[in-house]
Parts: sequence; structure tokens; C-alpha cells
Amino acid sequence: MYRWFVRNDKSSCSGGQALISLSALLLCFCISTLAQSTAPASKANSPFSIRATHVMGLPNTKSNCKGTLTTEDNVLRFQQSGKPIAQVDIASVRYVFLGEESVQVGGLPMKIGKAAAPYGGGRLVSLFAHKKYDTLTLEYVDGDGGLHGAILLVTKGQGELVRDELVARGVSSSSDEGGPTKQSTSEVRYEDK
Amino acid sequence: MKTSKLTFWIFCLAASIMIAVTLSGRLAGQTVQPSGTGSGSGTQWSVQVERIDPGQLDLAHSFQVAIYENLLEELNKTKRFKYVLREGDSKASEIPSLLILKTMMVKYAPGSETQRAVTTVSGATKLTVRSQLVTREGEVVLEHTVNGNVRFFGGNLRATHNLARNIAKVIKQSAWAESERLARYVPVNSICAAGSIHGCSSREENR
Repeated sequence: MYRWFVRNDKSSCSGGQALISLSALLLCFCISTLAQSTAPASKANSPFSIRATHVMGLPNTKSNCKGTLTTEDNVLRFQQSGKPIAQVDIASVRYVFLGEESVQVGGLPMKIGKAAAPYGGGRLVSLFAHKKYDTLTLEYVDGDGGLHGAILLVTKGQGELVRDELVARGVSSSSDEGGPTKQSTSEVRYEDK
Repeated sequence: MKTSKLTFWIFCLAASIMIAVTLSGRLAGQTVQPSGTGSGSGTQWSVQVERIDPGQLDLAHSFQVAIYENLLEELNKTKRFKYVLREGDSKASEIPSLLILKTMMVKYAPGSETQRAVTTVSGATKLTVRSQLVTREGEVVLEHTVNGNVRFFGGNLRATHNLARNIAKVIKQSAWAESERLARYVPVNSICAAGSIHGCSSREENR
């Protein structure tokens, strides 16, 4: 009798465990499905921030200055430390293009150092003192419909993230440019026929 | 007695320097004025810059945008035009004496900053464009082929700056404003010159 009861208890216990594990599995499945369906929306509204160098084109911002590029509330912002924010409405951005550029690092001090190095040592340094960047080219319009262009340099690999972020917010990317366009280092000439 | 004489001479010298400085300032102002008016016929032309036409060339978008932006900046610097407008600007329709600057790529040789820094002689970025100033009716007022290179120092985009500067230089130095073709399109009363256009941005504002 006791054994029967015990056996009975055990079976009911294992059945309950199975029910619990099944419901937990169902719950996990539901949560994951829900998360998948809501992921793009949360990504589109979440702020996105990276370090960038402004080459030209953004309003009220000097050329070749470093700052933080942010996308938040459908506005693309570029802020230097302690300077006013330059911002462009993402709705006014028509196209975003991604490219690639190799830039010599170190600026003017490095240039002077390389020039001063004896026995052509500067050239050897130049061979290694370069860094690859992604170039983000934006085309946007102002209130009067005038076309503006802006160029930003970001660390290699991050350009694609910014482009995807802007595309997710409704900006068109170039149709003929799936990946970054490489600027060939070879001296190739193209003639207009 | 000697001291008073010395004071008198110092005073005279200071006065003559002051007069000279004032006169030179006035003269400089007078010489600047004609370049600001921009044309012999007295009409101040405005220009609308169109985006760069890459033609058959595989020119990076960053280069196209850089040439366009640099052109706007350099044309403002020439002070030859009353207004320098961007493509698509709605104010262009209100300006009677408007020229359109078209720029077409002719040749492009991509370079490398690293190659330039290492070898000095190779790796130059070279750009050649054909730029045209045309009237609204499509008549070509000025046509030139202009080069812009970066051979030694600076990044590849510096070529676009040099190119824009050269285009602006050609436009500034040539006598297109006095051409007979353009004389036909000079409006009798330039409304914009009188400042009656609402929302017209001046050179300074465009900067």
C-alpha cells in the first residue's frame, strides 16, 4: 500500500515536473519570439554613438575635427568636446555612401619628424604609419531644398554600422554600392569617351 | 625752445602717418569694390552649383561631394557672384541673373597618400574636369578644362580642394561677364540687386 502510494506520488511528481519543464520551454519560446519581433523597433529608436572625424560639410563645424557621431530621435548629431552640436535631421538625408580611405597618421608633428629623420628613415616610417578608415558620405537637403554633402571618417568596420543604422531609419543607401568602395592605389587612368 | 621744436616735428610726423594710413585704407576700399560688383555691365550675377557629373568614371562619392562643397566655398571666396546657391535651392527661381555651373569629370587617376609619402614621385591623385558656366537658357558662357592634383603632401581629398580652387580662379580671371552672349541675358531691373527677394542669402550668410 505504502509502496503503491509512494509509486503513485513519484509518478505524479514526475508528471508535474514534465508539465513545469514544458511550460518553461513554451515560455522561453514565447519570449524569444517576442524579442525577435520587437528587436528592430528597439534598435531603430535606441541611441547610437561612435567617434568620428568630420572632414567637411556639416553645419557650423570646422573641417578635420574629431568628435562624437550620434543618432538619436531621428537626428544625426556631431559634437566636439566643448563646442556646439552640429545636427542634421535624418529625414533630410537622401543618401549615405560608404567608402574606404588610407590616411597617414600623426599629423604635422609626425610629418616634421619624418622629414627630419636622416637616411630616408621618414619614408620607412611612412610605410607603416598609416591607418585605414571608413568614409561616410552623406547627401542631405536644407530647408530651401539646397543639396549639401558631408564627409566623415570613422574607424574601419564602424562605417557599415552607421550606414545600417541610417538605413534602418529610412535613409537610402547607394544602389550600386553594396560594400565599401576601395580607392585603388594603382595609377589607373580612366578616359571619358 | 629745442623741446618745442622737437614736439612740433613729432606731431607733424604722426599727423602725416595718420593721413597716409587713412588714404591708403580708402584707396584699398576703392580697389576692392569693382571686384565685388563682378561684372563690367554693372549686373551682379549669381551662380548655382550643380552636383558633379562623374560621367563614365568610377569616382568615389566622397570625391564628388568634396568637389561640390569645395566649389561652393571657393566661389564664395572670389566675391564675383552675389549669391552662390546650391543645387535644388528654391531661391534660384527668384533670382533673375543666374548662371549655372556644371562640372563633368574627364579624367581621374586615384592616388595613395602612403605611396606619395614613401616614394615622393608616385601616388599622385589627379583630377581633370570640364566646367561650364551656362545661362538658364542653356547657352554656354564659359567653358574650361581644369586640373586638380595632389602630388606631395596631404590626403587624397586635397586634390578636390585644389581643383575647386583652380575652377574658381579660372572663373575669377576670365572676362565672361563682358561677353556678348551674356549681354543678351542681362535683365533690365535686377530685383535681387535691390534686395527685394525674400529669403535671399548673401555670400556672408552662405558661409
